[in-house]
Amino acid sequence: MGNAGSDTYDAVIIGAGIGGLVCGCYLAKAGMKVLIAEQHHKPGGYCTSFRRKGFLFDAAAHSFGGYRKGGVVRKIITELGIDQKLNIDCFQPSDTVRTLDYTVSFWSDVEHTIAEFERAFPAERDRIRSFFTFLQSGSREDLIRLRVLTFLEFLNTFFTDAKLKAVLSLPLFGNGGLPPSRLSAFAGVKIFSEFLLDGGYYPEGGMQRLSDAFAQTFTESGGVLRLSADVQNILVNNCSVGGIRLASGEEFHAPRVISNCDARQTFHTLLGRPHVPDDFLHTLDGLVPSSSLFVAYLGIDQSFSALPLPGANIWFMPHYDLERAFEVSRQGTIDHNKEFMIRLSPDAKTLLAFVNVQYIGKSYWSAQKEDRLQALLSLVETRLIPGLSKHVMVREGASPHTLYRYTRNTNGAAYGWASTPSQFLMPHFRMPSFLKGLFLVGHWTTLAQGIPGVMYSGLETATKITKRRARTLSCH
Amino acid sequence: MADSIEKGIIDIVADIAGVEPDEIHPETNFAQDLEIDSIKAIEITVAIEKKFKVSVRDEDVPKIMTLQQAVELVTKLLEQKGLMHG
Repeated sequence: MGNAGSDTYDAVIIGAGIGGLVCGCYLAKAGMKVLIAEQHHKPGGYCTSFRRKGFLFDAAAHSFGGYRKGGVVRKIITELGIDQKLNIDCFQPSDTVRTLDYTVSFWSDVEHTIAEFERAFPAERDRIRSFFTFLQSGSREDLIRLRVLTFLEFLNTFFTDAKLKAVLSLPLFGNGGLPPSRLSAFAGVKIFSEFLLDGGYYPEGGMQRLSDAFAQTFTESGGVLRLSADVQNILVNNCSVGGIRLASGEEFHAPRVISNCDARQTFHTLLGRPHVPDDFLHTLDGLVPSSSLFVAYLGIDQSFSALPLPGANIWFMPHYDLERAFEVSRQGTIDHNKEFMIRLSPDAKTLLAFVNVQYIGKSYWSAQKEDRLQALLSLVETRLIPGLSKHVMVREGASPHTLYRYTRNTNGAAYGWASTPSQFLMPHFRMPSFLKGLFLVGHWTTLAQGIPGVMYSGLETATKITKRRARTLSCH
Repeated sequence: MADSIEKGIIDIVADIAGVEPDEIHPETNFAQDLEIDSIKAIEITVAIEKKFKVSVRDEDVPKIMTLQQAVELVTKLLEQKGLMHG
């Protein structure tokens, strides 16, 4: 432990996910004394990697977007000097949607993407251009108008072709866990602009490198990172936070606590009554978490012709009915799931595949994990990569319970709260007014999804804290 | 009435922008003076709609760029609501 002998900090952050790390880096660089406590033995949350028998696998996040000039990830990575610590590659196309009729890809050159969509859907030609123009340069007023719409309502303002609407919605079904009739239009537009129009970025050596680089920057700036540190409580004195207590009994005191962990854990387990008002808990209990994933990690013996291009996310569906796909995914058995994402790693040695599923329960996933892994492998082999199973040297699955175990996200939720219009952008969930000094960052803030979103929330919270602190200091 | 509307909006904007209420004046431009980006602009709009139980129509969205404009719009929407229910 750094800062020998002292257990008092300017801020304590619970969880070393990307949102917590970004927030911690900015606070530490502003001269604040900051502690991050993370329950896992490595930093990163969903942005981690692991090794099995010589193969390197990314656990969940497997690329990122928002890194073009002016993008939020570019701003943060440059400002914090993370780009000096690792090489960031860009794989093109970043994403490809495949159905039985169409193969359409997303490129960082938007004209290239538009041309592919126009070729595939010539009848919607003009509207395809308007759609992509809106995604790139929609005004602030345009975006505010999206707040009450679903992504389907937004698509309906451009298109009539149901197949085109499904093709455009499939990567959002994978990246947000919701079909277009339920996904917030604004959330959908953000996923497009931050992942699909500017995606495919990858830190050389695996996603863990990105988290490690933030962790290194944090500690180099004087921050203290405690891994395998299980936070038991947030301490409260008279409607203000006072710090944290670990399961080991250690206490750390701070006037600001920033939670980068699951919102229900934060408010129910770490705080609870009487520190959280009943009406807030009631609202919290009424919110719906996003769905979870079942992930297959496959180490392969050699390259073979049926494999996709390295570094590209391939989204496959043999139909155009994402509403039904959503209902099927809630059964969680995978036997009836027909759509999936698969990606050959940049080193071309491993495959990552996933389908949307629900949590169901720990005992279900413990008993069924191997069977469900086989079901997903068979689905990929039958639909997209014939001969796959002959080349699999190492296989491992992650169920919703696995995701929960490593990250403590409620029910293994992959994207925080479900991004429906009614659950989007509720500021009191990231800075509740009833408890002074408490902030939330990450994907449970109703503000953010994915790496660009959680980085934004980390930066935004750090800016707010440092501004207020500067004002207070200047008054004394 | 107008004062409480103004105070309500100032509280919302101060929270979301991370500034103190006394830093917000009638002419304060949310985007230029408080660095309100599109996400925060939506948060402000949603929070105003929830707090005052009004719906901001699409054509009124460009009219909430300053505190004064926001107060005028909410006052108008509340008056219209009063007429409807009155």
